[in-house]
Amino acid sequence: MNGIKLGQYVHGNSLIHALDPRTKIICCIIIIMAVFINYSWYHLFFYVLLMITVIKISGMSLKFVLNSLRNIRYLLLVTFILQAFLTSGEPVLMLGKLSITREGLILGTTNLFRLIILYLGSMVLLMTTSPIKLSAGIESLLLPLNKLKIPVHNFTTILSISFRFIPTLIEEATTIKNAQRSRGAQFDSPKIMVRLKSYLAILIPLFEASLLRAEDLGEAMDSRCYTGHPNGLRMSSLKFKYKDTVTLCFMVAVLFAGVIISSIS
Amino acid sequence: MDGQGIELVNVTKIYKNAGTEKTALKDITLTIQPGEYVGLMGMNGSGKSTLARLCNGLIKPTRGKVYVDGMDTSCPENTTEIRRLVGMVFQNPDNQLICPVVEEEIAFGPENLGLSITEINSRIAWALQALGLENQRHHAPHLLSGGQKQKVALASVLAMLPDYLILDEPTSMLDPASRWELMEHLRALNTQKGMTIILSSHNPDDLIHANRLIVIDQGSIYLQGTPAEVYAQESELADIGLEPPGIYQLINLLEEEHNIADNVKSIAELVDKICPK
Repeated sequence: MNGIKLGQYVHGNSLIHALDPRTKIICCIIIIMAVFINYSWYHLFFYVLLMITVIKISGMSLKFVLNSLRNIRYLLLVTFILQAFLTSGEPVLMLGKLSITREGLILGTTNLFRLIILYLGSMVLLMTTSPIKLSAGIESLLLPLNKLKIPVHNFTTILSISFRFIPTLIEEATTIKNAQRSRGAQFDSPKIMVRLKSYLAILIPLFEASLLRAEDLGEAMDSRCYTGHPNGLRMSSLKFKYKDTVTLCFMVAVLFAGVIISSIS
Repeated sequence: MDGQGIELVNVTKIYKNAGTEKTALKDITLTIQPGEYVGLMGMNGSGKSTLARLCNGLIKPTRGKVYVDGMDTSCPENTTEIRRLVGMVFQNPDNQLICPVVEEEIAFGPENLGLSITEINSRIAWALQALGLENQRHHAPHLLSGGQKQKVALASVLAMLPDYLILDEPTSMLDPASRWELMEHLRALNTQKGMTIILSSHNPDDLIHANRLIVIDQGSIYLQGTPAEVYAQESELADIGLEPPGIYQLINLLEEEHNIADNVKSIAELVDKICPK
C-alpha cells in the first residue's frame, strides 16, 4: 500500500466497491446517526467490529487503515483530555486545581471511539468509491432539493470541476515551485520565516494563474451552452441493485436494533 | 449546408479597462460563407481572437452587427442557438476541459442542449471515433498528452454537431506531429462533412489548407484572398512581421528569380512546372 495517500480511492473488485455510491453515502450517514444515538460500550464495540469487518470485506489492508489513525491522533488526544478534565463528577485523580473525573474518563473514551468509528466509516467510503461515482451519488441524492429551488446542479458542477482541476493545479504548483527554486527560493531552509516566504512565492502566482484559468474555463463553458443541466450521463451509470437493498436494510436494522436494546436496558 | 453564413457588418470592438480604451477591431465588414475554410492570420494582439469570439456571441460588438445564419448575436434570445451552431475550440487545452473523465467532457455540450441519454451516447461514440479517441474514453483529461487533450476539446465541440467551427490558435501548445494531425482532422471535417472552419493562427503553416486567408493587423483587414494570393505578397506580409510558409517562399523565389512558378496555386502544380511529365 506504499504511495497510497489517505482517503484516496483504491481500485478494487470487492462487494463494498461494487455497491452503489448512494448506498455507501447513506450507510455512512446511518453510522454517524448510530454512534450519536447509541453510545453505550457494547454498542460502540459492535460498531468497531462492524467497521473492521467492512474493511476486511473491502479488501483494504486493515493495518494500513488503523495505522492511518495516527493522522488524527492529536484530535483524539485533545478530545479525550478535554472530556476527562472538564466533565464534572466523581474525582479520580487531582492535578492541582484540576481533577480527572470518573464520568469524564467514560465520556472521553466514548467520544474517542465515536470519532474512530466516524473516521473509519468515511475512510471506507472514500477509499472504495471513485471521485466521479461519489459526486454522481451526491448529485443524485441531492436532486430532490431542486424542487426547493436550491441550485443542486451548480453545486455538483463545482464539485466536478474541483475533481478535474486538483491534478492540474498540483502540476502547476510543482512547476512554480521548481521555477522559484531555480531562482534561489529556500523551501528547505531551517528558518521557518524563510520557508514561509518561499511558499508565499508559490501561492501568489498559483492564485493568479487559477483566476486566469477560471476565466478561460468560464468562456469554454459558456460557448458550450452551459445552463446547469443535471449530469444525466454520469447519473445513468448509477444502478441500484439487490445487494444495495440488502445492505441498506441491514444498516437500518443495525440502527434500530441498537435503539431497541438501549431502551430495554 | 443551408445556413446563410456568418456576417459581420461594420463591426468595431473597444475594450474598456480601468479608464483606458483599447480598440481591438475597427469597422470590419466580412462574410463567411457556409462550407468555407477560412484562415485568420495576424500577430499576437492583432484582433484575431476578438474576431473569433464575436462570431459565437461570447463577446458583443461595441458598434455594428454580427449575424449567424441571420440571427443577431446581440439578442440574448439567440445566444443558445448561436452557440450550438458555432462551436469554439480555444488555445489552451487544459483550460477548456471541464469534466474529470473524457466521455463526460464530450457529453457536457449535448447535455446542456437537453438531449436524451441515448442520443448523447451515440454522439459520444461518433465524436470519439471521428478523432480516434476510443481508447481514451474513460481516461482523466490530465493524463492525456497536449495533442490528445486538444482532440478531446475538438471532440466535445463536435458532439454538439455545429455548422461552424471556430478554432482560436488551437495548435500553439502542440508538438509538430499533433499539430499536423489536428490540421488533417479539420480538413476532413471541411471536405467530407461540409463544416465551415474558421481557424486563427499566427503560424502560417497551419493555414495552408484554408480556401481563404484573412490577414488582420491592428484591428483591420490588411490582406484577403486565397493562400496563393496572400502568400505571394511576401513584402506586404513582412511589413507586419509575418512571413509565408516555407513552400510559398520557395514558390515566390522561383517566380521572381526564374519565372517558373507563375500562377502556381498548389504544391502539385509547382511539381508539375518544375518536372513536367
